[in-house]
Amino acid sequence: MAEPQCIIGPDERILITGAFGFIGQRVVEGLLRRGWRRLRLFVRSSGPEDLMARWRQLGGPEVELELVHGNLLSRPDCARAGQGVALVYHLAAGRGEKSFPDAFMNSVVTTRNLIEGCLAQPGLRRFVNTSTFSVYSNQNKPKGSVLDESCPMEPHPERRGDAYSFAKVKQDEIVMEYAKTRGLPYVLVRPGVVYGPGNKSFTGRVGVGTFGIFLHLGGSNLIPMTYVENCADAIVLAGLAPGVDGEVFNIVDDQPLTSRQFLRAYKRQVRKFRSLYVPKFISYHLCWLWEWYAHWSQGQLPPTFNRLAWHAYWKKTRYSNQKIKQRLGWTQRVPTVEGLSQYFSSLREEKRHA
Amino acid sequence: MLKVGIIGCGKIADSHAAQILRLRGCEIVGVCDREGLMARQLFERFPIRAHFSDVTEMLDKARPDVVHITTPPQGHYELARLCVEAGAHVYVEKPFTVHAAEAEALLDLAVKRGRKVTVGHDDQFSHVARRLRRLVREGYLGGDPVHMESYYCYDLTDPGYARALLSDKQHWVRRLPGKLLHNIISHGIARLAEFLSTGPLHITTCGFVSPALQQWGEREIIDELRVIIREEPGRTAYFTFSSQMRPSVHQFRIFGPKNGLFLDQDQETLIRLRGARYKSYAERFVPPLGFARQYFEAMTGNVRKFLARDFHMKAGMKCLIESFYQSIVADAPLPISYREILATSRIMETIFDQIYPKLREPETSLRTGRVVQVSAG
Repeated sequence: MAEPQCIIGPDERILITGAFGFIGQRVVEGLLRRGWRRLRLFVRSSGPEDLMARWRQLGGPEVELELVHGNLLSRPDCARAGQGVALVYHLAAGRGEKSFPDAFMNSVVTTRNLIEGCLAQPGLRRFVNTSTFSVYSNQNKPKGSVLDESCPMEPHPERRGDAYSFAKVKQDEIVMEYAKTRGLPYVLVRPGVVYGPGNKSFTGRVGVGTFGIFLHLGGSNLIPMTYVENCADAIVLAGLAPGVDGEVFNIVDDQPLTSRQFLRAYKRQVRKFRSLYVPKFISYHLCWLWEWYAHWSQGQLPPTFNRLAWHAYWKKTRYSNQKIKQRLGWTQRVPTVEGLSQYFSSLREEKRHA
Repeated sequence: MLKVGIIGCGKIADSHAAQILRLRGCEIVGVCDREGLMARQLFERFPIRAHFSDVTEMLDKARPDVVHITTPPQGHYELARLCVEAGAHVYVEKPFTVHAAEAEALLDLAVKRGRKVTVGHDDQFSHVARRLRRLVREGYLGGDPVHMESYYCYDLTDPGYARALLSDKQHWVRRLPGKLLHNIISHGIARLAEFLSTGPLHITTCGFVSPALQQWGEREIIDELRVIIREEPGRTAYFTFSSQMRPSVHQFRIFGPKNGLFLDQDQETLIRLRGARYKSYAERFVPPLGFARQYFEAMTGNVRKFLARDFHMKAGMKCLIESFYQSIVADAPLPISYREILATSRIMETIFDQIYPKLREPETSLRTGRVVQVSAG
C-alpha cells in the first residue's frame, strides 16, 4: 500500500524519464515497492524484457506499467508523455557529452520540452528534477567547510571547462525559471557521486587517468558518495513528501570515504594499477597553469583543468545530509561497507567477462 | 570591422565561434537557432552581440556581412539563399547542399548578386594540406596528377554520434539521401575534386552495411564505401570510407608522372614519395632513411607549431575562414573554387544515387553501382 503522508494517491499517474538508466531502474523499483501502481516510463527504446517482467512481478497484478516511446527533444512526444501526470521524476540525463551544445540540448532543451508537456494540462503536483553536486560553487568557501543546500550555484559554469556541469546548472535554472513564470511545482535533487552495480565509471573526484598514469588528486578529501539504492530512496521521497515544493536536496550517504580510502579499497578488491599522489598545492597550481595556457594559446588546449574545477572537485570539503533526513525522513538503507562490497563485486564480475 | 552571423547553434557552431574570435577585424553580431535556447547558450558562452530564433530577424537587425550556416544540411540551401538575397556572403558547413542542383542554383545566385560563398572543407586548409597544395603548384609531381587515393574513415564505436544515430530512427542524418555518408564524406571527396579538372567523370561505387552494424540490427545505414573515379582521358582516383577498418585513417595520396605525395591528416604529416629508384639493394636501404628523416622533420615541425600556438585542432577552419574573409574584404581569390564545390556535390550525388536506390531490395547488403558520367565542368 502507498504511504499515507504523500502528495499523490496510489492511483495517480507518475511519469519517469530515464527509467532504464542506472538510477531510474531503482526509482521505479522503489515506487513499486512502496505501492504506487500507475507508472508511465518515457523511454527511447524498449527495455530489457526480464527487467519489465521483474517490475510486473514486484508491482503485483494491479500494476500498470505504461511504456511511452519517444524522444525528449520532441515536443509532441513530451506532450504525449505528460498527459494526465501528477508527478514527474525527471532522471534522463545527457551524460558523457563532451560538447557544450550537445550536453545543453540533451539536458536543458529536453527538460524544457518535458515541463511544457506536463504543464499543458492541469494536475501536475510535482516535478522532481535530478541535478548534481557539480552545480555548486565552493570557490569562496574556506577549505574544509561544509557544502550543503545553501551553497550558491556556479555563477560561470561555462568557465569550468566541463560541458556536463554547465548543462546541469542551466537545467536547474530553467526549472526555477518555470517555477517563477508558470508556477511549476518542483523539487531539485542533487546526488553526490552515485555508485553501485551497473556504474563502471571511476569518479574524477579521486583523480584522472588522462596522462598514462593515474594521478591521485583527492588525497584525504571526502567523496560525497551515495549508493544507488540509497540515492533512489531519497529521490522517491523527494517526489512524495508533502511541503517541500521549491526545495533543494543534496543526496549523500552517512559514512563517506576519503579519496585515499576509496582508491586503496578499489585497488585491493577490483584491480591493481599504478597511481601517483599529487598534493593539493601542486594540483591547484597545475590547474592554474593549464587554465593560463588554454587562455594564452587561444584554446590550443581546452580549459579542461582550471581553478574552478579544482575548487569543485579537489578542494577539501565536507558534506551534509541533514536536510534529506529532517525534511524527507530519509535514512541510509544500505550501509556503505555493504554498498562498496556489492559495487566492487560487480566490477570484478564485469572484469571477468570483459 | 566585418560583421559575422551564425545560423545553427549546435556542436560545430562552437568551433566556428571560437575560430572567428581568433581573427582580427571581425565580430559576431548575432547567432540564430530555431531553438531559442540553443542560440542563447552560444550567446552566453562567447562574446556575441545578440541571439535570435528567427533568421529574418537576425538578418534585419544584426545586418551581418557574412553568415556562417552550421545547421543540419537539409536547411543549407534555403538559408544560404535567404542570406545571399539579404546581401550577405555565406560560409556553408559541409555538405554544401543536399542536392547538386541546389549547389548550382546557390552559386548562380551568389554570382548574380555579387556575393561570395564558400563551403566548410576546412581539412583542406590544415598545415599539411596547404603544404601539399604548394608542392603540387610548384610542380613536385612532375605534371598533372595521374592517380589519387583518399581515405576518410569514421569510427562508429564513438559513443556520442553513433549512439544518437543508431538508436534514433528519425535522426536527421537518416533523412539525407546519402544518410551517414552524406554527412561525413565531403572532406574526403573534396580532396579528390580539388585535383580533378573539368573532364567527364566515370564513377563506380560499391557500398554496403558492415557486418558489425548489421549485428546491431542496422539495415539502412551504409557505412562501408569504395569508389573508383576515372576522369577522361586517364586520371583516376579511389575513395574509401570505412567505419570498421583500423586505424581509422584520414589520408590522401597523390601521384604524378614523376613523384607522389602522402598526406596523413591525423598525424599532420606530409611525406614526399620520390619517383626515381636507387640501384639494386640501395633502393631497400636509402629510401627508409629518407622517410625517417621526413617523419622526424614532420614531428619537430609539429612541435614548433604547437609551441608557437599555431597548432589548434581547428587550425584548418581558422585558415579557411580567414581566407574567405580576405576574399570579401580585399577581393582576394576565393579559398575554394566554385568548380570544386560543384564537382564535390556532383560526385557525392552520383555515389548516393548508385548505392541507395538498391537499398530497398531485400536481403542485399552489397551494392555495386553502374558507371555513370558526370560533368565536373
